[in-house]
Amino acid sequence: MVKRTALIIDDEEQIRRVIRHALSDDFPHIIEAATGAEGLDLAAAETPELVILDLGLPDMAGLEVCRDLRKWSTAAVVVLSAQHADQEKIKLLDSGADDYVTKPFSTLEFKARVRALLRRTALPGIGTGTVIQCGELKMDLTARTVSLSGKRVHLTPTEWELLRVLMTHGGRTMTHRQLFAAVWPGKSAGDAQQYLRVHVANVRRKIEANPINPRFIFTEPGVGYRFASCD
Amino acid sequence: MRSARPPVVTWSLSIAALGASALMLLAFRSQLETVHVALVFLLVVLGASAYGGRLLGVTIAVASFLVFDWMFLPPYRTLLVRNPLDWLVLAVFLVTSLVAAQLLYLARAERVAIDSADALREADRLKDALLASVSHDLRTPLTTIKGLAHELQSLGDERALIIEEQTDRLNRLVTDLLDMARLNGGALRLDIQVNAVDDLLGAVVQHVAARPDRHRVIVSLDDPATLLFGRFDFVHTLRILANLVDNALKHGPVDTPVHVTGGLSGNEVVIRVSDHGPGVPEDERERIFTPFNRSGEAMTGGDSSGLGLSISRRLAEAQSGTLKCLAPPDRGALFELRLPKADIQEPA
Repeated sequence: MVKRTALIIDDEEQIRRVIRHALSDDFPHIIEAATGAEGLDLAAAETPELVILDLGLPDMAGLEVCRDLRKWSTAAVVVLSAQHADQEKIKLLDSGADDYVTKPFSTLEFKARVRALLRRTALPGIGTGTVIQCGELKMDLTARTVSLSGKRVHLTPTEWELLRVLMTHGGRTMTHRQLFAAVWPGKSAGDAQQYLRVHVANVRRKIEANPINPRFIFTEPGVGYRFASCD
Repeated sequence: MRSARPPVVTWSLSIAALGASALMLLAFRSQLETVHVALVFLLVVLGASAYGGRLLGVTIAVASFLVFDWMFLPPYRTLLVRNPLDWLVLAVFLVTSLVAAQLLYLARAERVAIDSADALREADRLKDALLASVSHDLRTPLTTIKGLAHELQSLGDERALIIEEQTDRLNRLVTDLLDMARLNGGALRLDIQVNAVDDLLGAVVQHVAARPDRHRVIVSLDDPATLLFGRFDFVHTLRILANLVDNALKHGPVDTPVHVTGGLSGNEVVIRVSDHGPGVPEDERERIFTPFNRSGEAMTGGDSSGLGLSISRRLAEAQSGTLKCLAPPDRGALFELRLPKADIQEPA
């Protein structure tokens, strides 16, 4: 059995303490770094499964640490950010971070986010011929069909593609740009990008029992959308 | 920010402002909570730092700290503090004032060095950086306090829950102050997009999802069969609605519903938030949108900074919308947010 390792990169000792406490149930081995450079060295040496990365590091921008890490690490990356940094959060998610938590966060919320993320990364890779099921919603990737409680849902090609991308990344926040790039490959963002929100609204109307209280597609305000995390 | 006034004048003005605020607050001491006092003093410190520089900022910060403790934290007229939660307010107040004074000083020092050619653009970037850094520096200690309180709670200390709640409250105050600074400093970023009203109302439901009284919030569309779209900034609009809904939950009696409805009126998307509370008297319906308005504060239950409604209205106007407090059909308060609608040709 491999010892599960988590790495905390934050220059504030007290924050590291709080996070260490929150992670101690799930991770027997927790290592810490106070700077980005030190964090990258530790990540290379110890190959952690989870990296908690603070955005306000003294030596380098969190974005750089994340980009560098992503070149060679498959660790799940959770970013800690202060509120009102939507633009920064988007950049980080676009450059490979898996999720973010906003300060001041509650320990319960933090634990829940980390667990959902690890559950997702633990899933086997999704190949062709797989069926993805989430509650009464079922997607057949080979037959290219979607059904809700056994009843076929009719989607336009764009809606199908959008739902496919969201469902195959369940539990993960997809930024508007990531969704756009996946659904309209090769097209430059711009005029058509505004239709992303229109398509999401249309898909919700087709699969959600109550589109203004969704159970499958959640909105991450200012950032993007997240499909429910299903086991 | 650079003052043409001689330092003697700035210093005297700041000390006078501190004295005046202390006397004014003293008159209402029995009705005020410590957080209100902290907030007013914080504004004095910010003003002093902005106009007089670091030395004045720090001096006023320390002076307000002492006055705060001496005059407003029981037992009065001593530097002792009886209530442990007051320690928290006092400590956060001192840290906030000192950090703000230092950051304003740094921002100004950097600003002086900037060549006048791109001074404006650079100043904007700095304003952003300053606010981001204030935000980070204030929220980091709050995160630690909240996290440690959670640990104490798991050890069975029920007072820890109060610490956690108060931390959330301080965080809301910090958010309000930062938003006000952003609006006043012209540093507000707008991201106007075509958004679905479904999406917005769904986000309101998510906003209250963690509250024990979430079942009171009833969200609906005037015409559920029609998809409505508007042109607005999603995050700012959600902030307005979250603010209105939080207020409504606070003012409506326990177990009465808060209705949030979405509809269309002419060229505008109309979102209404209504409660079954005491309502807003007719002559107060405009005044509650002015910052630090006494009746506005009373309206928001004294739990907020008294800035919420004024921030909300300005956010609405920044995106070509309006926010009004209307006469309700029966009783309670009724707020109406109007935003430009968007016409969508069904995309392929």
